[in-house]
Amino acid sequence: MNFFKTFKHDTWVKPYVKQYKGLLISVLILGFLTVFSATALMFTAGYTIDKAATHPYNILLIYVPIILTRGFGIGRPVFKYIERLRSHNWVLKITSDLRTRLYKTLESDASFFNERHKTGDIMGLLSEDINHLQDLYLRTVFPTVIAYIVAIIGSLALGVFNPSFGFFVLLLCVIEIVIVPLVSVSIESARRERQKALKSDLYTKLTDNVLGVDDWVISGREKDFKDLSAKTISELDSSKNKSKAFRRYRDFILQVLFTGIVVVFIIFTNLKMTNGQEQANFVAALVLAVLQLSDTFVPVSQGFEEWPQYRDSIERLNTVKPVDQNLPEQVELAPEDFNGIELNHVNFEYASDSPILIKDFSQKITKGEKLALLGPSGIGKTTILQLILGDLVPQSGEIKVNDLNVQQIQEKRETIFSVLNQNPFLFNTTVMNNVRLGNEDKSDAEVKQALARVGLKDLIDSLPDKYNTLVGENGSRFSGGEQERIALARILLQDAPVVLLDEPTVGLDPITENDLLETFFDVLQDKTIIWVTHHLQGVKHVDHVVFVNDEKIEMQGDPRDLYKTNAHFKELYEMDQGLTSES
Amino acid sequence: MIDKRLFRLPGTKKLLLMLAGLTFLQAFVILFQGKYLAEALVNSWKMKPLQTIILPMTLFAAAFIVRHFINLINTKVVESYASNTSEEIRSMLLDKLYNSGPQMISERGTGNLVTASLDGIDLVENYFKLIFTKMMNMSIIPPVLLIYIYFQDVASGITLTIIVPLVILFMILLGYAAQSKADEQYAQYTVLSNHFLDALRGLPTLKMLGLSKRYVKNIYTVSDEYRRRTMNTLRIAILSTFALDWLTTLGIAILAVFLGFSLINGTMILFPALVTLILAPEYFLPLRDFSSDYHATLDGKNALTNIFSILEHKDTKNTDELEPLQWDENSNLEVNNLQFNYDDEDKNVDASLDVDHLKLSGYHNIGVIGKSGSGKSTLIRVIGGFLTPEESSDIKINGKEIPHFTQRNWQKELTFLPQSPYLFSGTLADNIAFYRPEASQEEVKAAANKAGLKDFIDTLKDGYKTMIGEGGRGISGGQQQRIMIARAFLADDRHILIFDEPTAHLDIETEYALKKPMEQLFKDHLVIFATHRLHWIKEMDYVIVMDDGLIAEQGTPEELSSHQGAYSDLIENMRGDQL
Repeated sequence: MNFFKTFKHDTWVKPYVKQYKGLLISVLILGFLTVFSATALMFTAGYTIDKAATHPYNILLIYVPIILTRGFGIGRPVFKYIERLRSHNWVLKITSDLRTRLYKTLESDASFFNERHKTGDIMGLLSEDINHLQDLYLRTVFPTVIAYIVAIIGSLALGVFNPSFGFFVLLLCVIEIVIVPLVSVSIESARRERQKALKSDLYTKLTDNVLGVDDWVISGREKDFKDLSAKTISELDSSKNKSKAFRRYRDFILQVLFTGIVVVFIIFTNLKMTNGQEQANFVAALVLAVLQLSDTFVPVSQGFEEWPQYRDSIERLNTVKPVDQNLPEQVELAPEDFNGIELNHVNFEYASDSPILIKDFSQKITKGEKLALLGPSGIGKTTILQLILGDLVPQSGEIKVNDLNVQQIQEKRETIFSVLNQNPFLFNTTVMNNVRLGNEDKSDAEVKQALARVGLKDLIDSLPDKYNTLVGENGSRFSGGEQERIALARILLQDAPVVLLDEPTVGLDPITENDLLETFFDVLQDKTIIWVTHHLQGVKHVDHVVFVNDEKIEMQGDPRDLYKTNAHFKELYEMDQGLTSES
Repeated sequence: MIDKRLFRLPGTKKLLLMLAGLTFLQAFVILFQGKYLAEALVNSWKMKPLQTIILPMTLFAAAFIVRHFINLINTKVVESYASNTSEEIRSMLLDKLYNSGPQMISERGTGNLVTASLDGIDLVENYFKLIFTKMMNMSIIPPVLLIYIYFQDVASGITLTIIVPLVILFMILLGYAAQSKADEQYAQYTVLSNHFLDALRGLPTLKMLGLSKRYVKNIYTVSDEYRRRTMNTLRIAILSTFALDWLTTLGIAILAVFLGFSLINGTMILFPALVTLILAPEYFLPLRDFSSDYHATLDGKNALTNIFSILEHKDTKNTDELEPLQWDENSNLEVNNLQFNYDDEDKNVDASLDVDHLKLSGYHNIGVIGKSGSGKSTLIRVIGGFLTPEESSDIKINGKEIPHFTQRNWQKELTFLPQSPYLFSGTLADNIAFYRPEASQEEVKAAANKAGLKDFIDTLKDGYKTMIGEGGRGISGGQQQRIMIARAFLADDRHILIFDEPTAHLDIETEYALKKPMEQLFKDHLVIFATHRLHWIKEMDYVIVMDDGLIAEQGTPEELSSHQGAYSDLIENMRGDQL
């Protein structure tokens, strides 16, 4: 069964069940006590009135059951309340552990982020998966385990009085809370799978409707627009309707089975407990108590039904594994000793069957040099930056910082390299905190000074919360250009000798872009800069420009010299600047 | 609790009638179930033989089964209503999207619409499923049972009657307390709950800053802080459920005690006492169900409100004012006093529009330039009929007055090439043939060749049948623009091309390579071209300079560059210093 297959190599669920064992056991005990009190309430209440109906001479004879009735009446809500709190507490504790672990695992695998784009929002998915595990416990595991404990203890208790009846009841319970749920999940599993596929298809199509609406309207294809998702919707609906019908009938059958259990008790009490009035007083008690159990037993099947979606989460989490970095022995390189980077005949491909991306690439960058790297998208410009950083390792050739292989300085890499890319990530906290991430030892005054250098002082002073302004999710409080400036301030605090700029101005309008580039090259004057860019705006700031194309360097040199000597460069530059070409 | 607009949805009244009937039946079956169970138990208590309980027991079992059978039908009716109605709403949403989608997107963003039409619909369906049954159960079952109990024993009836308002009072008070506590913590709460995802997304940045290893501790601390706060809130939030539980179980306990005393005093016999005790939990059940799934109900209600507000968005009317049109070199378009105002100025990146006068004619190339936020896109989108201008605007096409550009026959003449083209999930050929889905394979090929796509398509294993778009092959920005250009080549029955910064994201060499096919495309077309890439100006016959929603200057490039005006200023600013 796939259930066991899922857990065979699982490391995300099993080990954690053993954690906070005391709390977990208390949750289960409290869950049991809740059910116990609910049934005991009806048991003692039933006994009380049966006993009272015999008109006992002394009212004290029903005093004990009355007290018990009240006790269980209060016990049920109290136990339930505490159980809900404790189970949430346990689950949230586990969540903290799981999150820490997921973070650590992802942290160890830098290359993971290169593949991120292929699978969409994998981060969102993984963090959702952990939330799914919370539901797995709260909605499936706890209710099921509690129902099982109740069934076992109940049958045992009956077995003490009448072994064969206890066994018979246990059998009925097994059908109700083991067999039916299992059959149910195995029937529904495939259907759920299909519904999931249909749903993601529907998502694609509705996204096509919404994001492509301009094109649809212009095309005048109103009918096609409406029909696009119609087929998927009707297939999804028919599959969902089957699931719903199945669920309705299953729940009905469970109730019929449950009626069977109650009838068995009515007959049993009539046959075996009518040998004397004292015994007969327990008849109503027992039957009324059993009647309460449907609330505990029927939901077990619903809990099972959600299994396929938890399975996906568990399986995905299990694909995330820590990676051994295999770094050579680390050497400490003081930032002030940095004197250059050298790439010698570097070859790189992502996988053995994918085309070679970087072919025999060599370049020497001396301290303080400003280098621009240009080329069409997809040619591997960003890959070159990742190779320089040491996030990727070339198949052949070497990348050296001073005389050291870049892999030898990974541990303290942040003291040599800073990176600024096109969507600098801002954490959803204050401006001050975001900038200080560059160097946590810096004072408030130094953070403010950095923000002033990147030209944000006036803007921040105009905000009501000033430096404590929250940047919003993904920095949404600020415009693209402003986000770049905040990230630049962060880099200023980091104060590494080499700054890698990965198309920081793409998507900005030329005026904003010009201003931003002026700022970049002004505040980073004394740094070594490697700047990946997609056009020639601001190329005057660099000493050396390299055009990569089709696995090789197409042209390179000082942009001022190239403009004079290279016709193609001249043509591109004039086009970029909108200058009138003589041709 | 319930939105009145719900009752206007088709089928709702019929559903409520059916549900009322079914629930009424159900209430009586519950009565019978209790009555016969009590009968059987009383006989057992009297130590009568099995034969005497067979009939009441069978009737009890039958009532129990019938009850759940009615429940099955009830669920079926509600579920089919919920699914039909929510699909109906989805279809209305799609209609609305087609009719006023572009305008709505500029007001609400795309995310809202995708969420509303997908997750929103699911939430609404679930809401429908819950709300009607719960309402019916609560308003029918307890009264029916209560009346019966009054007939059995007045004192018990009074006890049960008194508890309900108590329960409601407690729940309101506690719910209110929980709400204010939750509101207090809300802002920090959301930050904390999103912190983990934020950290995962920011992991590369943390790594670059050398903080990623140290940050592990932070993940745990924040997550634990979140747990602590959640527990604090939860403690109060589930108090209302606790109060409900407590009052109902205590109610049953008190009832049992009262019944016991009446029995001892001899003022009552066993049967009515037992029936009352059996029915008491059933009496409270609808109330307990009503308070569970509170969040699902609330989410569904909010989703529905959101959808209703989308559906109430005003449609653009009079979209057939323009006769069939074929734009040619003698055609002209004239606007005076063209105004468009965004509802919420702050939310939009572009400026509202106020154009005094503009006349475009024949197969000219019109450039629209300006810094970002100057109203370029707004102008283009008004002309494309995506945004509906103020009614006072005066628009004439070939001398014929029209209220706005959202005219079917106008849009049939247009090809629109945006900054970030949208590729539909489907084959490459489908995407090229988007404006002319009936085009033959040869026509598609010819268009692709003109757009310079041949080499690229030859490298694809499935050629024109390659699946692209969502879930398909990732396609570079340059190739995406080529696909758009191929689409425009294929739609040769459309004579007006509107470009909205088509090359802004492209690298210089890709742009250079695209220039030729685009110039080819310009022939025999009216071209309206918004851009901030200056070299395109050379291809333009006429340039409009936008600033803050106004036309700052317009004229031929020669005229404009001959003096120091808005045009010259803008170009100097954009270029920066030269090499």
